[in-house]
Amino acid sequence: MITGAWLCLFAPLAGAVLITLCGTRIPRRAAGWISTLSVFIAFGGAVWSFLALRSHGSDHGAISTAWTWLESGSFKVGLSVLVDPLSTMMMLIVTGVGGLIVLYSIGYMDGDPEERRYFAYMSFFVFSMQLLVQGGNLLLLLAGWGLVGLSSYLLIGFWHEKPSAVAAAKKAFVMNAFGDATMALAFFVLIFHSGSLEFATSFTTAGHLSQTTVNLVALGLLGGAAAKSAQIPLHTWLPDAMEGPTPVSALIHAATMVTAGVYLIARTHPIFEQARTIELVAAGMGALTLLVAGLVALVQTDIKRVIAYSTMSQIGYMFLGAGVGAYANGMFHLMTHAFFKALLFMGAGLVIHALAGEQDIRKMGGIGKLMPWTRWMFLIASLALVGIFPFAGFFSKDSIIAATLNVGWYGYVLWGAALAGAFLTGLYTFRLYFIVFPGEPSAFAEEHHHDHHGLEGPWTMLIPVGVLTVLSAAGGWIQFSPYWQLVTDWLDPVARTLGVAEPTNTQEWVSTGLALGLGLGGMAVAYAIYGSGRLAVPRLPAVQRALEHKLYFDEAYDALFFKPSAALATQLRRLVEDPFVLAAGPDLGETAMDAGRLVRRLQTGMLRTYVLFLGMGMAVMAVVFLVVR
Amino acid sequence: MQGAALLGPGIVWYVGIAGFLFGIGALGVLVRRNPLIVLLSLEIMLNGANLALIAFARSAGNGAGQIFALAVMAVAASEVCVGLGLVVALHRRRLPLDVDRLSELRG
Repeated sequence: MITGAWLCLFAPLAGAVLITLCGTRIPRRAAGWISTLSVFIAFGGAVWSFLALRSHGSDHGAISTAWTWLESGSFKVGLSVLVDPLSTMMMLIVTGVGGLIVLYSIGYMDGDPEERRYFAYMSFFVFSMQLLVQGGNLLLLLAGWGLVGLSSYLLIGFWHEKPSAVAAAKKAFVMNAFGDATMALAFFVLIFHSGSLEFATSFTTAGHLSQTTVNLVALGLLGGAAAKSAQIPLHTWLPDAMEGPTPVSALIHAATMVTAGVYLIARTHPIFEQARTIELVAAGMGALTLLVAGLVALVQTDIKRVIAYSTMSQIGYMFLGAGVGAYANGMFHLMTHAFFKALLFMGAGLVIHALAGEQDIRKMGGIGKLMPWTRWMFLIASLALVGIFPFAGFFSKDSIIAATLNVGWYGYVLWGAALAGAFLTGLYTFRLYFIVFPGEPSAFAEEHHHDHHGLEGPWTMLIPVGVLTVLSAAGGWIQFSPYWQLVTDWLDPVARTLGVAEPTNTQEWVSTGLALGLGLGGMAVAYAIYGSGRLAVPRLPAVQRALEHKLYFDEAYDALFFKPSAALATQLRRLVEDPFVLAAGPDLGETAMDAGRLVRRLQTGMLRTYVLFLGMGMAVMAVVFLVVR
Repeated sequence: MQGAALLGPGIVWYVGIAGFLFGIGALGVLVRRNPLIVLLSLEIMLNGANLALIAFARSAGNGAGQIFALAVMAVAASEVCVGLGLVVALHRRRLPLDVDRLSELRG
């Protein structure tokens, strides 16, 4: 069980190191295969751990410590991996979906001059993510947390000759660094009070802390989770992160890394339960994000940005679920979302690949006729995203919506937001679908489309797409509340759903019915506007402008943080730098040189003067010691 | 050890001779210009110090001073190695064997 976990952690790192060390001595293709192989070996390790844990019973999780990593007084942190239901579930998702996406990258990145660097980064990312989910204590979790931020930065800025990509990478890094900092502060408080960052000790300690302290810790953790998972108000980096290659968006900014916040809440839920207010703030944050992101997605014109906003919105659902206490539902949605969102990105990647890099949906109309298979699989992914029976999203999203109903009046607000979000999901998803796929191919699509030996892409791209299509269509059946709940039962020992987040059967059915109806309604409106053209796009210039500016978050941050600091810097330059520092420079130099001229006379180059000085020094010291003592 | 303290002259004599040797050496280092002689004078200074160390060790009946003396000898031997090496190198390159004329470090 533990061997599998170590294998799962270090196989991708070995892959990354191997590609880096081999450098140009291996062909580009080989780098892709090494990377893919290393991630699939990790998947093997994950399956091994999972099966072993299942045969032992899911409450027999284990921690294995390789050595003491850090020691300072009584504070001790080991390099340890944790195998428990939550971590094995994440291991399976990360390495499984990750392996498929790395395989897909072989086709997608073919011919890029820096393929090897790309694959080294990808393997390194999988390693970082494994460290995050498998780390046996909070410090290793934080280390993984930082490393995924680094890999994300490297991969967003992979095409470093594009200034926009470099800017997006920086933005993502800074936003995430903010989250890392709040998390680190929370950990300092924990260390101060418990002297340990082991999960078990920290969670017991959280029970004895004062309410303010535990609220602070939870708030710090929530800051980290929100930054990593792109929740309002720390969300602005995610849409810009689409500057990276499409498989990167699929793996990091849809399936795995951005959902780490949900994992963090589920993992540290004993702390959040002590700070129930903060936990409900997380739920509210999720509800707000899912609405805002859904609205902004309605007006985006870049195919990847639409999907990016939809990712934010779906993570909003996960935060909502985890926030009210339905951790298993949040994690289940995380899993199905990994399937269908990776698939959507891969589909978008196939279209972009076939159209030689074009991402603007206004030019893409009618691509479905040229790429029928892509169209079908995109349709399945979209239906799963909207949550239409029997596709994956139906099972996971509806149970989250139902879970909010017992939290009092606040729960009803969340419930309303989640249902409105379901309508928006249907609308923006099928707006994208109807604009891009059906109908006659646009002139641009006809002109630029090129197929791949009669296929819609190289086979390395088509196989992962096929596998994920099956998973998106059928992957939700493992949990069908309230009939069978495999995921909830599996996670029960580590992240038990709170009683307040368990809906009655009636609530479940009503929510499911409403969500399904609203999703279908959204699709119908999308069809009427973009499919058949029977309705015109509503003309609300003010609203549209606000949405196109993404509700002015970037502008607000610019005015709030960037402009004042830039102004302060200008003033400092004018009032301090120029008159004092710069003016002082030449004088300082002159003085130093004068002093040097004076002192240099001492250096005669003659041995005897040196000896004389030495002797005089000794004599003075002797006198000092004898007389003064 | 205490009983087998200094036989013969008292400690003052030993320290006097040690100081005398040190003085001769120091004078040699200061006034001679041949690097070879300078090195020799250095050795005499070190031996003066050694003599003082051993004399004090005997008088105090304590072995520590002798260990110091051994360490000083080891240092002296290595120092002579380097010093003589330098002198040979100077000679090979036909540079003047005169410490006053080797003054390239003058500021």
